[in-house]
Amino acid sequence: MPKHYRPAGKKKEGNAARYVTRSQAVKYLQVPLKVFRKLCIFKGVFPRDPKKKVKGNHHTYYHMKDIAFLKHEPLLEKFREMRSYEKKVKKAMSKKNKDLAERLLTRKPTYTLDMLIRERYPKFIDALRDLDDCLTMVHLFAALPAIERESIQPERIHNCRGLSLEWQAYISRTHKLRKAFISVKGIYYQAEVDGQKVTWLTPHALQQVMPPDVDYKIMLTFLEFYETLLGFVNFKLYESINLKYPPILDPRLKALAADLYALTRYVDAKDQTSGTNDEESELRLAQLQDQLPSNEPGALMNLVVNAAFVSEDDEETKACKTLFQNKTFFLGREVPRESLLFVITSFGGVVSWEGDGAPFDESNQDIDYQIVDRPTQSHKFISRDYIQPQWVFDCINARLILPTEDYMVGKVLPPHLSPFVDNEAEGYVPEYADTIKRLQAAARKEILPMPGAEMDDLDNAHLLAEGIIDRAEAKEAAERKRKMAIDEKQFHQELKMEMKGMQQTADTSEIKKTGEEDDADDASPKQLTNNDEDMAMLTMSRKKRGLYNAIQISNQRKKANVDTLEKRKKNLKKNKETSSD
Amino acid sequence: MGKNQKMKKLKNKPVPKEEEEKEDVVVVNGDMDSDDGSIPSPVVSDDEEDDDYEGFSDSDGSSKNSDSESGSGSEQSEPSDDEDGENPSIDGGSIDGDDDLNQEDQSAGSDDGLSDGGDSVDSREVVDESDSSEDEVETRNTIGDVPFEWYKEEEHIGYDKAGRKIKKKERMDKLDSFLARTDDSKSWRTIRDELEDEDIEITKEEFKTIRRMLKGKAPHAEFNPHPDYVDWFAWDGAGHPLSNAPEPKRRFIPSKHEAKMVVKYLRAIRKGLITFDKPKEKPRYYNLWVDDPEKPGHGLSYIPAPKPKLPGHEESYNPSQEYIPTQEEINAYQLMFEEDRPKFIPKRFTSLRSVPAYEKSVKEFFERCLDLYLCARARKKRINIDPESLKPKLPSRKDLKPYPTTCYLEYKGHTGPVASICTDPTGQHIASGSHDGTVRIWEVETGRCLKIFELGEPVKHVAWNPVPELPLLAVSMGQDVFVLNTGLEKEEHKMIADLLRVETSTTPDESESAVSSISWSQYVKYDGVRIKHFKTVSSVEWHRKGDYFSTVMPAGDSKAVLIHMLSKKLTQRLPFKLHGIAVSSTFHPSRSIFFVSTKKHVRVYDLLKKKFIKKLEPGVREISSLSVHPGGDNVIVGSRDGKLCWFDMDLSSKPYKILKSHPKDITNVAFHRSYPLFASSSDDGTAYVFHGMVYSDLNQNPLIVPLEILHGHKTVDGRGLLDCKFHPRQPWLFTAGADSVIKLFCH
Repeated sequence: MPKHYRPAGKKKEGNAARYVTRSQAVKYLQVPLKVFRKLCIFKGVFPRDPKKKVKGNHHTYYHMKDIAFLKHEPLLEKFREMRSYEKKVKKAMSKKNKDLAERLLTRKPTYTLDMLIRERYPKFIDALRDLDDCLTMVHLFAALPAIERESIQPERIHNCRGLSLEWQAYISRTHKLRKAFISVKGIYYQAEVDGQKVTWLTPHALQQVMPPDVDYKIMLTFLEFYETLLGFVNFKLYESINLKYPPILDPRLKALAADLYALTRYVDAKDQTSGTNDEESELRLAQLQDQLPSNEPGALMNLVVNAAFVSEDDEETKACKTLFQNKTFFLGREVPRESLLFVITSFGGVVSWEGDGAPFDESNQDIDYQIVDRPTQSHKFISRDYIQPQWVFDCINARLILPTEDYMVGKVLPPHLSPFVDNEAEGYVPEYADTIKRLQAAARKEILPMPGAEMDDLDNAHLLAEGIIDRAEAKEAAERKRKMAIDEKQFHQELKMEMKGMQQTADTSEIKKTGEEDDADDASPKQLTNNDEDMAMLTMSRKKRGLYNAIQISNQRKKANVDTLEKRKKNLKKNKETSSD
Repeated sequence: MGKNQKMKKLKNKPVPKEEEEKEDVVVVNGDMDSDDGSIPSPVVSDDEEDDDYEGFSDSDGSSKNSDSESGSGSEQSEPSDDEDGENPSIDGGSIDGDDDLNQEDQSAGSDDGLSDGGDSVDSREVVDESDSSEDEVETRNTIGDVPFEWYKEEEHIGYDKAGRKIKKKERMDKLDSFLARTDDSKSWRTIRDELEDEDIEITKEEFKTIRRMLKGKAPHAEFNPHPDYVDWFAWDGAGHPLSNAPEPKRRFIPSKHEAKMVVKYLRAIRKGLITFDKPKEKPRYYNLWVDDPEKPGHGLSYIPAPKPKLPGHEESYNPSQEYIPTQEEINAYQLMFEEDRPKFIPKRFTSLRSVPAYEKSVKEFFERCLDLYLCARARKKRINIDPESLKPKLPSRKDLKPYPTTCYLEYKGHTGPVASICTDPTGQHIASGSHDGTVRIWEVETGRCLKIFELGEPVKHVAWNPVPELPLLAVSMGQDVFVLNTGLEKEEHKMIADLLRVETSTTPDESESAVSSISWSQYVKYDGVRIKHFKTVSSVEWHRKGDYFSTVMPAGDSKAVLIHMLSKKLTQRLPFKLHGIAVSSTFHPSRSIFFVSTKKHVRVYDLLKKKFIKKLEPGVREISSLSVHPGGDNVIVGSRDGKLCWFDMDLSSKPYKILKSHPKDITNVAFHRSYPLFASSSDDGTAYVFHGMVYSDLNQNPLIVPLEILHGHKTVDGRGLLDCKFHPRQPWLFTAGADSVIKLFCH
């Protein structure tokens, strides 16, 4: 009898019944693979890993419940309908029944993904949580060229661009941007919306490379879903700040490709009007309150609501809002305008740029900073700083107006550090991160000792007394201590080995007692500590032992990374010294 | 001219004639294979040749007529045919004209043609014949419808009406004809008609016709392929339409088809398939999340996709210097495996303007898409714990003292690997058996070798009788087992001598109940008994009372495990079936229970009740050794894959704990008789000492703590330690190594 024999008529059980391979699923749903793929993407159905892979290791398995979930999807029927519709049109065309074909074309079956979004994200917060990929994709497509061959329609590109700008306008208006980072891959932004950290990547505003070995159909299917999702999210967000969605933009600005500015202006304008309205109503309420008896609940409620609205901005938002307050920026022709416009306005600055549609021109006296990205600046206004764009990003990541000397035109820039890295957890703190930290501390009117001062200090307690325990430094100190202990131990061991060796040479010829009693006692505690780890390892279960080893390996890898960094740094320093000498 | 002649003329239309002539030319030139189209004849010509020909023809205009006159009758008739076609003569032309008229009349649908019906019928016949019978050209030749080559050799060609032969014309020989051709300027346009046996000269008009035909035009120059339409019907004053039929009824009643279509449209409109006003534009987006969600999903948990990794410092466009790998490091990446190679190599740009577009951005997001919908997702617990906390809390080893820690003594003297050692029950002596064929007895405390038995063959196993009064040593060696008197106990020498005396006569009598192939005999060389087995004996174990001992022959099949009785010199086989190859056996320390380990299992038997009690399943690859706790309820089993299994007999037949300590085979395991210690020795040259406390409270599980790793032995030929035994009273461990040294580890 084969191992997996099941009598005829007996139902499958366990993983064999619960999981199906993809081809089984496609057969079960009676759809082509193309449609299955589309459905999976729209419905967010993904393969799952069964404990036991009945059909073999090289298959993808879907849970039967997921497949049943797809089977009951109305969209499935819709896709079938569309297929039959296409056949009808084709038939009419080939029979030269132009009339019918035209009539058919007027009632092409369409579908929307609204309910799917509701289904996948029952709460708004769920949608925000899953927004990272959506934003990245929409921003990416906003930068792509429309390609007829790959059926990337220009309308979709426009739509993507619109959606991304609307999102950016909201973020900058509500000052929700927290971090921004210029990487080689593009510019990363992180915003905090409703307590959710949303991170997205926008490619550099340059001609993008379209690789040929990419299936754009899959990407477009994803994009279809993400466009809808972002549309609804934007609607909800705009509604939350009392704005109409979709916004109606100034056509002149739009034509000048200053969409973001147009949007922000629209948002601001609406907000101001609503703000004034609020003020008015508040005034009237106050007047009313004098007339009304003091325990009128309605008025109070209203007041409370208003107060709540005001205090909605948390600490961080306030900090972000005021970072560039009362600062005026002017962007040069060569800097990425859209990105800087977004970043600076979301941190409370006022921006203009060189070109049409700018709110004010270069000769404006209020301008504090002019952002340029060229080797030299020929004509300079004395009243303003000419800085490189990295300054803005470093400032917002540090939440601090950094000194502009290092960022002046033509200077070699200090390194641009990622705000997403927890330096201490990583175990390596770049030099510039330290500098920024010190500046931040200075801004908070705290005094951090100079880096060299506590380098010699190995005493942890002393550091504690100072009340400024830098974790990394403490670690370093501890490590040194440990190293010393290890050295000591090694020394002892060597001593011991020597003794033993002498003993061994002594007792070659005849059998005699080896070693003195006290010596053995002396050695044993060290051996004890040495062996303790191995001993404990012995009694661990296999699973735990594996886990332990894995943790050790990952720690070692991390440490190796840090070590290489430190080694490189040392080498660089050495090279610098030799070159200066 | 009569009608027949007319017919003949009509038949001799110029076009087919020309074709025929062409064919003739082919024949003349002897190009039998070639087709009509590829004739290298002078007729088929380029434009230049045409020009030439025109020039010639102009000059030869006068001589042409004379030529034609001298030619045959048929040739004379041809130009007249041409004339017929171009401008019809009086007799033929009238009929032709009638014909045309008739046809037109018929096409117009009038009944006028009826008046000259007969004539028209005739003419039609004529026309028909002229159209179809081009192959029936009347020739003067009378050879009939036979291949022309039949006459090739003959002097005549055909016969005349009177039956006389018609002579062929005198042919000029080649030279003459060539000369004639060169002389005659018109020779290039003369064609020989072999059938008629004459030369034909093609006229200028004929050439023109041929040229036109070659161009795909009508043969006649005057033929207009697109004539203006002439409306022959006289419309003036016609009061009625051509057809005077009354209007049909269907033109006055509503169309059924239209009614059908109307109904169809009506239905379509009612159904809403056809709408006239554009549907109201609903706002595309609305607040989707107004109310609280109803019960979500389909029961399965939604596993959100992991977020993409956030960029580190190295991804910056302007990272710190130390993040940029040196050129050597980048080169080293090339030597790495593709999977290990870093995906991203940091780069430094001096300014933002110099940062190019990232060429992999689309590709990377595409891969992300694939991950999102093709990757199996599973919830994995991210463990963020201190790895040290994974280690179990063990009691401090200091509290578990004493246990052997350091090498205290070495017993040297063997020249081969020491296979087995055994301590005597008092703990004063140890016996060791080695592959060098000797058994030595040592004094434990001094390390002095007291006695050497030279047995000759490699010793497999030694076992000391557990009764202190009987200083007997059982030694297994090859197929023999010896019970030797060590001579260490002086007083009870008599009893020992009794025990070791074998009456040779009795042995065969008692062999009925015992195993016949085992023979007891006196060992002469030393004071002892020799028990001869039929297969190699791997181990010997004594019963606690010192009278019985068991031997194991792995290859002995049903008699693999034997139990010998020393006092009666009796041998019994184990009355149970062993499933597998026996490895070792041992007696229970207090009860009449017997343990036999096969390669896979340990079987436990009750010897008194003769019953199988239990099977222990360690689940290891191959069992190598077995030891029973002095309490008797716990068993440890060592295996060849380096695992040590602790069995609690009351608990289960599966191991209570498996310790994977040794990287190589475990050769022996041993319990201490009084201390809660046990040890394992292995081929990797180490021995592990464990604390194994068994509590009298049945609810409490035994406590197992690894205590010490004992090093010191060298590995020889891949073998390290071969045996380990505890001292019976002290927490000391003896280890026997393949390096022919015995070591004593003390606390």
